This record gives sequence, structure tokens and C-alpha cells, in this order.
Amino acid sequence: MRQPRIIVVGGGLAGLMATIRVAEAGVPVDLFSIVPVKRSHSVCAQGGINAAKNQKGEGDTTWKHFDDTIYGGDFLANQSLVKRMCEAAPGIIDLLDRMGVMFNRTPEGLLDYRRFGGTLYHRTAFAGATTGQQLLYALDEQVRRHEAEDRVKKYEGQTFLSAVIDEGGVCRGICAMDLRSMEVKTYPADAVIFCTGGIGAIFGRSTNSVVCTGSAQSALFQQGVDYANGEFIQVHPTAIPGEDKLRLMSESARGEGGRVWVPKNPADTRAAQSIPDGERFYFLEEWYPKYGNLVPRDIATRAIHRIVYQEKLGIRGQAAVYLDVTHIPKETLDRKLEGILEIYEKFLGVDPRVEPMKVFPAMHYTMGGIWVNAEDQATNVSGIYAAGECEYQYHGANRLGANSLVSCIFGGGLAGPAAVKYARNLEKGAESTSASVYENERKRQEEKNQALILPDGTENPVAIWRELGEVMTEHVTVTRINKDLEAADVKIRELQERYGRINLSDRTKWSNQTLNFARELGNMLILARVITLGALQRDESRGAHYKPDFPERDDANWLKTTRAKWLNGEIHLSYEAVDISQIPLRARRYDAAK
Amino acid sequence: MSATATRPETDYLLRKLHSLTGIIPVGAFLVEHFWSNSYALVSQAQYDAKSQELQTIPFRIFVEWAFIFLPMLYHGGYGIYIWLRGKANVSAYPWVGNWLYTTQRYTGLIAFAYIGWHLYTERWLTHGRSTYADVENLLRNPYALAFMFVGVVASSFHLGVGIWNFLCKWGLAATVKAQRAAGALGAVVGFTFSLVGVLIVCSFWLNWHPFDFYVK
Amino acid sequence: MAEAKQVIVRIKRQAGPKVAPYWEEFALPWRPAMNVIICLRDIAENPVTRDGKKTTPISYDSNCLEEVCGSCAMLINGRARMACSALVDKLEQPIRLEPFSKFPVVRDLAVDRQFMFESLKRVNGWIPIDGTYDLGEGPRMAPEIQEKAYPLSRCISCGSCLEVCPQVNDNNQFIGAAIVSQVRLFNMHPTGAMHAKERIQALMEPGGIQDCANAQNCVKACPKDIPLTESLAEMNRQAWKQALVGWLIG
Repeated sequence: MRQPRIIVVGGGLAGLMATIRVAEAGVPVDLFSIVPVKRSHSVCAQGGINAAKNQKGEGDTTWKHFDDTIYGGDFLANQSLVKRMCEAAPGIIDLLDRMGVMFNRTPEGLLDYRRFGGTLYHRTAFAGATTGQQLLYALDEQVRRHEAEDRVKKYEGQTFLSAVIDEGGVCRGICAMDLRSMEVKTYPADAVIFCTGGIGAIFGRSTNSVVCTGSAQSALFQQGVDYANGEFIQVHPTAIPGEDKLRLMSESARGEGGRVWVPKNPADTRAAQSIPDGERFYFLEEWYPKYGNLVPRDIATRAIHRIVYQEKLGIRGQAAVYLDVTHIPKETLDRKLEGILEIYEKFLGVDPRVEPMKVFPAMHYTMGGIWVNAEDQATNVSGIYAAGECEYQYHGANRLGANSLVSCIFGGGLAGPAAVKYARNLEKGAESTSASVYENERKRQEEKNQALILPDGTENPVAIWRELGEVMTEHVTVTRINKDLEAADVKIRELQERYGRINLSDRTKWSNQTLNFARELGNMLILARVITLGALQRDESRGAHYKPDFPERDDANWLKTTRAKWLNGEIHLSYEAVDISQIPLRARRYDAAK
Repeated sequence: MSATATRPETDYLLRKLHSLTGIIPVGAFLVEHFWSNSYALVSQAQYDAKSQELQTIPFRIFVEWAFIFLPMLYHGGYGIYIWLRGKANVSAYPWVGNWLYTTQRYTGLIAFAYIGWHLYTERWLTHGRSTYADVENLLRNPYALAFMFVGVVASSFHLGVGIWNFLCKWGLAATVKAQRAAGALGAVVGFTFSLVGVLIVCSFWLNWHPFDFYVK
Repeated sequence: MAEAKQVIVRIKRQAGPKVAPYWEEFALPWRPAMNVIICLRDIAENPVTRDGKKTTPISYDSNCLEEVCGSCAMLINGRARMACSALVDKLEQPIRLEPFSKFPVVRDLAVDRQFMFESLKRVNGWIPIDGTYDLGEGPRMAPEIQEKAYPLSRCISCGSCLEVCPQVNDNNQFIGAAIVSQVRLFNMHPTGAMHAKERIQALMEPGGIQDCANAQNCVKACPKDIPLTESLAEMNRQAWKQALVGWLIG
């Protein structure tokens, strides 16, 4: 029998899980990653991972997890796959536990669970406040074992440029660039799984890592892979503002009892600790008595924006509110939240155990992503699969906290065997693809590089990127107004035009980070338009997508998935029905029991 | 990692042997040696009696080689090899542990040279029959006297730090607290031995016997 | 008007692995809460040296910018540090930036730390599970063990402990404190413990734990406050016990 070969692009949680599953099936894997996989963005996930194990005897079930996820996502997610994910979640926790993840424990030696946003149950397993890091390391170690036993070959320090697609529209491998030698090469494969993560860089500053540019998704989109629900962008309510990055302050801070408040008098100049309880406005608890500080992220984010911009109650007039954990015993904080409190302390020089933290919402996650089917993570292009944050399947219009890790591992675990099955069933594999298919793709990519390096333009890529981030953050995040979205699209097109006159200040041929960044930037600009146009079209409010001019969810017209296609160099939006076969629609309200 | 013909853990065992010989028997011998020499603080006669006793133990030559000369040669020789494979960086990272790391190498070298000289003068030249008078004579030379002071202090320091290293590196002091205690122990040993060593040298130099009232 | 406050940064640059390094100096406009990464981004946006010469942006590794990915380690004013958490206001100026010296330079401040990942392979740095199919729950674990193991599991492979270790240099390929500490972590896990012997054996090979000389710089330099010296001591004890017991009674 022909031995197929599979490529995985991206070494975060989803990519590593896919890699393990493929290797386990006895198929060799080439794993591509920009950074050494142990440095992937998954390490930034903090709070935990959801699974309805009912370990606290609250009567939690996988159905309730499913219901919370669909309801939290405002009914935009296709239900059948979400249901499967929630059913698989307890098994995923068991697997991670077996892999050696140092989850926090109860006195009985069982896994401990905490509460997270958008649920009333203790459903979130956690390893301190660095759960993503711990999970990623566990999978990284398993992949290292497969690597040591020659089932996996890593290509770290390689950036994906494009898929190699033959005349029949079937993916036969990838084209990648070595970030040291800058060499552009093609790599044949029978199937390729993309796990290329988030797109934070499109918004300039976000809680995402530097490599989360969405460049790979955009490159695929321009090769005919559809992109779905791009307009659904999660803005996390609590992050630490910074000029280089908006550092996440996990929902687990609230899960462990942290409270969000502002002084009733915004001119109050006293230190936060010395403001008496009666003079504090715990607005989340007041507005949402049932869920309190643990309302879903979109709700909390809009509440903070309302406090700051409409009620003008931001701390001393600034765009900030307090996230307060000072009332929680220090021992508990150190045991359960140390990782995140340490970040605050290190980057601001203030001890959050003593002084309430100042936080503000920040772009955090894209619910939208590469379109995949509802069975096995396959995209609309044969041979291309996607899993993790880069695809759109699991979170609808808003993701619940601690659901991302589970969706990464579930999706990756699904994509691996699916790609194996597909590759094994191929009549003709990559080996019978003509060499010219690869050579043409390589040349096309080389030419793109030359086009960027050669001209003596005037535009600095970092400056274009900064402007892109500013316009996206201002107009395409929390509050969306059609005329602003139109203006944003005009601005992005202007940036695209300036991008054509780019000037690379570095034209060397060794480890040229500027060239790589310029390539990513071109892709970011296109994806930025997909997001903006999707938002412009969708005249309703649903989950994270909020239009004050259309404040209600409009199921009659908009209970549908946005599906962006690239046709003749233009973005076209089409729509398809959402699977609501399991849970009937109902209004989404967190100020009362559902 | 280069392929070697020897067992893979040979390097490990040699290194551990180096560490062990520093305490047993070299360190232990140093304890004994300081003890027997401190008889000089009582009187010349007591010192010579003690010396004679030690110089007339059965199987002397075997005991000397097996428990003193060979272990010392190994500890010193392998120690130099270890030194050559390290690269001190105390100017960039002037932390206490790092200072001790660096000084441990210099004091080791000084102690090794000093012990070689000491053996030559007190064991070789005297054919193993060294007496109080021999030492007293030698120390009339100011360079010899100075070297004697430097040598005993360097040896004492090296032993003190060595005890700390030994307890940490064999995992006998594993927690931060235990390692702090091990450091304190090493410091006490190093300081006490330096003091006793200096007193002994002073005794020969100044013909000073503070405990002579025992025998008067 | 008073002259705008500036940040002066001196950077040791190197165009590739085998070419000579040189220094360049930059003057950047000061802003509140600047860190070293922001300085490097400022330079990328306007790559002009202090004396007005056009130059190339600085190559450096970075990713998460919150000290959890381990990418941006470099020498800052001569000390091994993470660039993202190095706040400009707390640094003496001019700020000197150099690549790590114990790893091969790729370009400018970017170095190749593959040695660490290879070392993790050498020591079987994983829990050997039978497969990812459903085999039920993992072993129970006392909270006390978890609380000891968790800090060890936060190692970000930044390489700071190797950079500051006098025993790591061209003559001596010491595996380093981080890896030894990882072995301790795997050996603490109930399943990992079943294969503790192999890992300890690997630690006794050339470049293994014996090369630690107790300078204890590692624990001071570790950005994640991992108790590395405890790990070294603990693994040292496990190693000689295994060597002795293995020799005595097999």
C-alpha cells in the first residue's frame, strides 16, 4: 500500500494534537511552525479548559456544557459538532491528565474545577493560571517522543507561504520559506492540516502573540479556501493596557471571586483600597445579578465600554476599571492565580494582591476563521483541513471562556485521522503530481518576494501595520456603526495601495524578518477587509457583533453563517444556514435565569 | 555528545569520585592533620610525641599512599581538569554562589601547590621524620612563613566551600533551607580551620604555646 | 521647552553566524512604560542610528510578550533577561543589548537554542502514554505533589540558566539546569516514575548532571523562579543512588 505523507502547519495545541493523531495512525508527519513549537501562542491561555465532569456534584452534564456553549455563542454555531465536542471534553481532560499536565488537585487527589464565564457550574479544570502553557507542553512532549522515534519531522523556523494546488484543485503540499536562509521551497503532501491560530496582529495590539497574524488563513483564502464568520471578533473584557501588547488578565481572576468595579465618583483620587465599599459601583453584579462578574465576555466588555464611554465612570476619567482580587486570601491567590498576578506585577510593578488591578477590554480571539465542514474539519478544497482558532466551527458569535483549549484539542484530534483517511483513500498521491506544479508555485512565491524586496518605495511596513491596527480597533471591535465600517474599508484599501509602494529597510538574504513581516502584512490587509465587510453586511447584534443601530438579534434575516469567497481577486460574501437541530432558539439574556 | 569507547557514565563516576575524595579521605585527613599539629599549641615535646606516634603507625607507607597521596593527587589533578572545562563569569554575575565557584578554583590550586611543597619539605626532605625543630627552622624563612599562612587559609576555605558543595551536589541538602544550613556549616568549618591553622603556624613562628599550662 | 527625554540603546549586531559583530547606537523618544521590545519596534519603524545613518531593523526573537513563551531572552546590560519584561525605566542607560553568548547567533539578537530541545529528547522528556484513545482517568495525585511539580512545569526553555552557568561553554556541553529540572518533573509523575531510571541514566552521560558545579547562578537568573538548585540536588541524589544501587545489587 502507498504510504501517504501529511503536513501539519502550526504547532500550537491544535497542530500538536493533529500531529500526534496522525503519527499514531502510523503516517509520517512534517510539522511546520514559525517558532519552535514550544513557543506557540497556546502558552498564553491562562484560565483553564472546560469539561462537564460534574466533579463538584452540581448536576453538570455534557448537554449543559453544550447548551451553555450554543447559548453563549448566540446560536450561530452549528450544533452537531459542538455537541460532539462537549461530549468528548471529559475524555480530553483524562487524556491530558494521563500526559502529565499538572492540573490543580482536590484533597482527594482528583482534578479541581473552577467557575468560568457564561456558566453556573464548576466546569473548568486548570493548572494554576497557566493552563494553556501546561497543555501545550504536554502535547509538545508527546510530539517530541514521536519525533525521537522518527514518526514526526519538525520544520521549525519556517513560514507557510501558500498551498500547492494542482490543476484539479486538489492540495498536494505547501510552499514555505525558511526564516533563516530565506529559501523558498515546496514540500509535497497528500493532505495538509492548518492550525495557524489567531489573527490578533490585524488589530495592532491585542492579547495575541506576535506570530498571530492570520497570514496563513489569508493566503489560503486567496487560493480559494473559504473564510467564515470573520466579523465575529472577541474582545476580552480584562486586559492590561500596554504599548506593545494588551496582556490578558484571565477570566479565572473572576472565576476565583474577583470583582469588577469603578468608584461611584470618577473624580475620586483616593487609592482604590481606601475607597469604602459603599462608594464603589460593582456594575456587573448590579446589572447581571445571576451571573455577576461571570457574564460572558461580550457582555462584560460592552458593560465596561458603557461605564467608560457613556456613563463616564472610568477610573479618574481614564479608559480603565478595577479588577479586584484583594479580598481573596493570599494563599488561594498564590495557589490558583499566581501566573497571571505575576504578569501584572512584573509589567506594572504593582502587587495585585494588595492593590486592585486596572484593566480594559482588548481584542482577544476570532470566532470566525477558515470554513470547515460539520463532520471532520475539511475545508472546501480537497486535501486541506483546518483546526483550532484558525477555523470557525465551534464558538458561534461569542466564545465562552475555557472553551478554546477544548476546541483546539478536539478539532486537532478530529482533523488528524480525517486527513489520514483522506490521504489513504487517494487514488493518486502527491508522488504522481507533476514536478511543474510545485515548481510553478515556488516561482510564484519567489516572485512575490522579489516584488517586495526590489522597489525603492517610500512606505514603511511597520507604519502601515500600526495604522491598520488603529482603524480596526477603533471601528471593528466592540461597537460597530455602518458608516464607520465603510470608512474603515476605505482606509484599508488606502493602506493596500500604499502597501504597493512598500520600502523594505532590509534587503539582505539572511534571516530577514522585515521581508517576512511585509509578506504577512499583505495578507493581513486582505483578511482585515473580510472582517470589516462581514461586519458591515450583518445588520443585527449577535454575540460579540454589536451594532447600536441594530441592537437586537435578528434570526429571521441573520441566523446564517457568513461565508467569504475569493473570486477573481475580490471578496464575495455569501451566506448559509446554521444547524439548529438540537437546541431551539431562545433569547440570550444574562440579567435573568435563562 | 561524542561516542566513547568507555561506559557512558565513566565521566559521571570520575566526577563523583572527585567530589567524594575531597571529603573522604582528603577532607578527613585535613581534620586529622590540623588536630595532630595543634599539639604544637601545647608544647614542643607534646608535638614531637604526637608526630612520632603518627610516624610509626603500622603499614605507614601503604596508609599514606592509599589514604593521602593518591586521593590528593586525584582530587587535585581532576580538579584542574574540571577548572579547565569551566569558564568563570563572576564579573558579569557577581553573586555569592558564583564568587564561591571562582574562589574554589583558585584556593584549590593554591592548596594543591602548597600541599605539594609542604610534603616536599616535611615528608620528603626529612624522610618522614619531621620534628618540631624542622618546622621551626623552615619558618625562619619569611617566604616559607607567608606561604604557610596562605596555604592553611586556602586549604581551610577550600574545605569549607567543599563541604557546602558536597552536601548540595549529593542531594543531602536538597531544599533551599537545607542548602542555606549547609552553607552556614561550610562557613563555620572554613573559618574555624583558618583560625586554628593560623594559630598553629603562629605557634611555630613565635614559639608560642598557649596550652602549655597543661604540662607545666 | 526642555529637550524631549530620550532612550539610548546600544546594540551588538551581527549579520550572520560567521561574521564579525559590531555595535550600533540608537536614540529613541522616551514614553511611559517602555520595554526593550518597544525599543526594538521603534527601531524597525525608523531604522536610523543615533548619528543619522540608515541601517536595517534588528533581528530578534519574540512572541508572547508576557514572559511565557521564552523567545525574547537576550543580554540586557550584560545580564540574561527577557526583553519583554525589561522595563526601560528600570534600566541604566545606555541600554546595552547583546545576543546570548552560549548559543550560536543567527542574526543580531536572535540565537539558536535547538540544543535545549535536543537535550529534552536525550532525557526522554515525556510521559510515555500508551495512546491518545480513551483509557480512562489519569493517576490520582496528592495536591502536595502537584504543588511541588507545578512550578517546575512552568519552565519556558528560555536558556537563561545555561547562559549564566559557568559550566556551559565551548569546552563543556553541560545539559543545563532547566533540563535536569524537567527530568525531576517527569520523575515525579506517577506514570513518569515508571521510567525514571532511563531518564536518570541519560543524566549520567557526558554533559550530564555531574557537570553542575554548584555556582547556583541558574536559580538567580531564572525568570520563572523555578527552584533549579533544589532540582539539581534532588536529581543528584537520585543519580548516585541509582548508580550505587545498580552496581551493588543490580
